[in-house]
Amino acid sequence: MEAREQNLLRSVLENTWRFYVWVGFLIVVLLWGLFAYIQQLRDGLIVTGMRDQISWGLYITNFVFFIGISHAGTLISAILRVTDTGWRTPITRMAEAITVFALCIGGPMVMIDMGRPDRMLNLFRYGRIQSPIIWDVLGVSTYLTGCILYFYIPMIPDLAFLAVQPKLASWRRRLYSTLAIGWTGTPQQKALLEKAISFMAIFIIPLAVSVHTVVSWIFAMTLRPGWNSSIFGPYFVIGAIYSGTAGVIFSMYVLRRVFHLQDYVEELHFRNLGLLLLAFSLMYLYFNINEYLTAGYKLEGSERLLMERLFVGDYAVLFWVAQSLCVFIPAALMIAVLGLKRYHRYTIPGVVFSSALVIVGAWVKRYIIVVPTLRSPYLPSGQRLPWEWTHYHPSWVEWSITAAAVAGFALIYTLMVKLFPIVSIWETREQREKEEVAVPQLPGESVPVRWWKPGDVFPILAIAALLLFGSRSASAAGPAKPKLPKATAITVEWKTVPAVQASRESAADESTPLLPRGRVFMYTGRLFTLETSHDGSAEDDVKPSPVAVTATLRDSSGAPISFKPVEFSAKTGLGTLAFGSRPTLADGKAQLVIKDRRYGTYPVQVVFRGDEEYAPATFDVTVDFGVRPAPSLPRAGVLITPYATPYIAAPFLLFYGAMWVAFIYAFGYLILWKMRKFSPAAAVAQTKTAPAARGA
Amino acid sequence: MAITRRGFVQFLAQGAGAFVAVGVAWKASVSKVFHEVLPSRSLAPGNQKWVMVIDLAKCDGCRDCTKACTAMHFVPPMQEWIKVFEITDNEAAGPYFLPRPCMQCDNPPCVRGCPVGATYKRTDGVVIQDDDRCIGCRNCIAQCPYSARSFNWGEPPHTSQELARPYNVEYNYPHRKGTVEKCIFCPEHLRMGKLPACAATCKMGAIYFGDKLDDAVTNGKGETIQFTKIAKRGASFRLMEELGTEPSVYYLPPASRKYPAPDEKAKTETAQSEMPGMAH
Repeated sequence: MEAREQNLLRSVLENTWRFYVWVGFLIVVLLWGLFAYIQQLRDGLIVTGMRDQISWGLYITNFVFFIGISHAGTLISAILRVTDTGWRTPITRMAEAITVFALCIGGPMVMIDMGRPDRMLNLFRYGRIQSPIIWDVLGVSTYLTGCILYFYIPMIPDLAFLAVQPKLASWRRRLYSTLAIGWTGTPQQKALLEKAISFMAIFIIPLAVSVHTVVSWIFAMTLRPGWNSSIFGPYFVIGAIYSGTAGVIFSMYVLRRVFHLQDYVEELHFRNLGLLLLAFSLMYLYFNINEYLTAGYKLEGSERLLMERLFVGDYAVLFWVAQSLCVFIPAALMIAVLGLKRYHRYTIPGVVFSSALVIVGAWVKRYIIVVPTLRSPYLPSGQRLPWEWTHYHPSWVEWSITAAAVAGFALIYTLMVKLFPIVSIWETREQREKEEVAVPQLPGESVPVRWWKPGDVFPILAIAALLLFGSRSASAAGPAKPKLPKATAITVEWKTVPAVQASRESAADESTPLLPRGRVFMYTGRLFTLETSHDGSAEDDVKPSPVAVTATLRDSSGAPISFKPVEFSAKTGLGTLAFGSRPTLADGKAQLVIKDRRYGTYPVQVVFRGDEEYAPATFDVTVDFGVRPAPSLPRAGVLITPYATPYIAAPFLLFYGAMWVAFIYAFGYLILWKMRKFSPAAAVAQTKTAPAARGA
Repeated sequence: MAITRRGFVQFLAQGAGAFVAVGVAWKASVSKVFHEVLPSRSLAPGNQKWVMVIDLAKCDGCRDCTKACTAMHFVPPMQEWIKVFEITDNEAAGPYFLPRPCMQCDNPPCVRGCPVGATYKRTDGVVIQDDDRCIGCRNCIAQCPYSARSFNWGEPPHTSQELARPYNVEYNYPHRKGTVEKCIFCPEHLRMGKLPACAATCKMGAIYFGDKLDDAVTNGKGETIQFTKIAKRGASFRLMEELGTEPSVYYLPPASRKYPAPDEKAKTETAQSEMPGMAH
């Protein structure tokens, strides 16, 4: 073994006292965070600074931050692999590791934020695909699985290599040889491994983009000023890649310092990734300008308050600190060290310092995205509420858990670095051989192109969007024929007659076909058959026909009583609706035509108050105003259905389902199933064949 | 293989064929795969569509509605399920009081965003909150543009009366830590044919409540008015109509007020409190 590789293995083989102190420190911080979390579990989220007005705080900030940090590792590694960039080999594993560990910390932050973590399983029992939270559960879990596989698959040859290192403890060797799943390094195995890696690399790119888009949709799917923005998806994706790249650079620097990897991680890497970071910072600047200029130019409604708070008000300091740390200072610094020849010698410190600023700035930026918007709702906040309820100040519990999250990230990273080689041994070896021989290898094992045809997916989605569903006619309510029986009272008699279709407005509408309604609820067609009706409620479909109530007032001899007022009223669900009075005409009849949009049967009371000549009289009758529409959910509701909506369910399930199929193919089939077949003997023989494979 | 025009046309035709086949399969399968009948919990006990009409010209900001609501539902401290805001749209219009219950939207953002269906729309228009299911993610609070939802940050203080009954979504207590709560139009009262607590209490008769299908809304003074007359032909409005939430709560504008405006009221109150001092 060369001295170079010996050096790489040192991180796995040797532990110094510094390592123990560092791990001890991290564990103390973690335990402190655990203590804080136990407080929170016991007393509830009251121990945080969050309240009804600002109901998301540091935890969600951390969630977005860590998911963002996780973003770049895999993406950079995948892009570098797909483009087969030579200099990638020493840094891909570091990048992938960041992704996996940041996801392991970011995911649980949401659970810590939950009021009822004990009901976590409700997400699976009752999950509604219409909710952005479920999209996140789907996306992040798929992404985590993919990243673990993408981290693990390229590591298999190194694990087989480690399994035969005599210096290691026996439990570790056993662990490595189990994880190496029969890798012996035969050409067939190598071909399978390369195929699986490139397969994963190609699938992980859209997955990574989707995950941060979905994270942004938690915010963008709300009606809050500042979040209600269509640019949030790409804005978050760029912000995530940017902060993630900074994370990769920073971790590269730390590992290089700690493990003396100067031979592997060279100035070239910092320079190349620095250029990438610079490009992202300028893109992020562009997105920031786009986001804040469009809102700040118009200062529409509640956004005015938010923009004032951000630019000059309560959050101005944090806002400008975030912008400076995130964009202005790093961009200027990197332009100097990467662009100006006289500062080239500061490339590494300059790029690393910029990365550190970007990481801190990104966290502050996430805070600036989450909190000020919640502080600025549409209705005035803070009326009759104490100051602490409308101003967010994170409590010690939140800060402790945040510190524990960072410590947890560092701890996982530290331990994993100790367990697995952080620079890919076999890939750097190959790359070195390639460079030394300077003869390009046969492109036989390059990325296969066959298995992905763009024609397959888009038509499905497009046809799904185009299909509209036919309408179903429903039973129309016939015109009501209320009847008033003969009056028994002393002098009065009442009658109601159905009115002719006299009303001006209903005649035309009556002829239009009725839309599906009633108990049968078309979940299927609703997203793209939005009603334009102004209140969108179900009863718009059936217009009740007007009802004429005629009261005949007679005296005891049967002669009509003319020109006397009679009052009409209907008993409704919660009260009595007075229609006013009408005078009787010469024939003793008073007619009231009711054209209201009323459904069902109502007791109608007609009252003659009486005067000197005639005694008062009352008559009750039940009038049928038409059939009530069957109970249904409002048609105006979009995505509020109790069941999955196809137009939302299908794209999500298709996309993430395709990812799972890809994982099963790449890992389950190519690695677990096929690679085992090429392993020459049983697991016992592994230890003997592995050195031979190394020589090959 | 040579690329021919015929081959390319065939390729396009295959694509179009696949397009149509998938569409047909989609259309045939979708109505079978996806349910069409509402689950029982979405069905309201009666066939109504509840609406509330709040006459801002009558609201004098006494907050009796809030007190009645709090008493009826044992609402935990710091929560107001119906909150009376003091709104100043512009200087000239001056301030007015705006009672804000839950809007019971027909297109409710909270229901859209709830990951577990703990909040859902019922056929009578009420947006129900099921705290047996709520996981406390507070996405609904972020979603609600009316700030009508509150969260039990800590263990709410309990009374024996509150704890005497088992939890039910129709009255939404006993209250529990880590769950979200809101105004639910008092379904328990509605079952009994009574007005919700806020409407029944309002001394000014500013809050009208009723069934939209009855076309009648009634206030606490027993005055019943025609819903379509005030809400459709009158100058009524719904809060933040432009957000497309389709609320079930309608407001009548604070024109020709029947009470002293908030700023005048504040003046008279200070004057009254100064009175005894002046007597000395």
